[in-house]
Amino acid sequence: MTTPAARTAAPTAPSTARGGPDLLLAAAVIAVAAALVHAVYFTPTEAVQGPAQKIFYLHVSSAIVALYLGFGLLALTSAVYLWLREERVDRMAESAAEVGLVFMSVVLLTGPIWAKPIWGTWWTWDARLTLTLFTWLIVLGYLTLRNAIEDRAQRARYSAVLGILAGLLVPFIHLSTTMFRTLHPQPILLKPSAPSMPHEMVMSWMYAQGAFVLLFVALLRARYRYGEERDRLRALRGEEV
Amino acid sequence: MPPDNVAFMRAAYTVALVVYALYAVTLWRRRARVRKELQRLSD
Repeated sequence: MTTPAARTAAPTAPSTARGGPDLLLAAAVIAVAAALVHAVYFTPTEAVQGPAQKIFYLHVSSAIVALYLGFGLLALTSAVYLWLREERVDRMAESAAEVGLVFMSVVLLTGPIWAKPIWGTWWTWDARLTLTLFTWLIVLGYLTLRNAIEDRAQRARYSAVLGILAGLLVPFIHLSTTMFRTLHPQPILLKPSAPSMPHEMVMSWMYAQGAFVLLFVALLRARYRYGEERDRLRALRGEEV
Repeated sequence: MPPDNVAFMRAAYTVALVVYALYAVTLWRRRARVRKELQRLSD
């Protein structure tokens, strides 16, 4: 059976329209800074956990973006690629994986810093932490695989399978605190009933969540454009895209 | 009275900001390098 060739664009002259400052990224940086200043200085300190609870605004917002936007988009675009074999879709999957991995790295680094003063340990091998680390490793493997295969169509096809696998773990991570005994608290925000937090804290989380979504979109767009320009350069040099 | 663990909060915020900033700068430098090369080839 022959493999359908991926649809690739012909090399064109470099685009100069995108050479200016990235205003969306600048807006995202300002929004994140404002949301975090609001969370740290203008949101009440939780009585039991103390200031460490404010890691929540960073950790949970980054986790939601990494899981549902980053890895969710990775799985979706990977599946669409296997169907359509469009180069642009593969490039979007690659971008979502890389940016999602950055957000998930922040989650895996800030989680232990929050866990130590509250749980008394940096790390525990419970379902949520283990599944999250496992998914992070799969996405790291996805990006490593992409660098290891030269043939463009083969690289896109193999990595799409891995991308779907990473995405399949997202619902399990979401449900892990209800399916297994874990130190992680039950859902506080993303649950059918009202959030189990004071209104001021929910509002601060919403600002932070919106800002991190904007940061994700800005970084994703920049990463996608980098991929476009890199592929255009390779095509102009006559290399494998 | 809430526990005094503000150092953990500061550490987490610092780590996160460093990771995001490093990635943004790395991406910006990669894009700049590719654009420069594209420009060189088009001249």
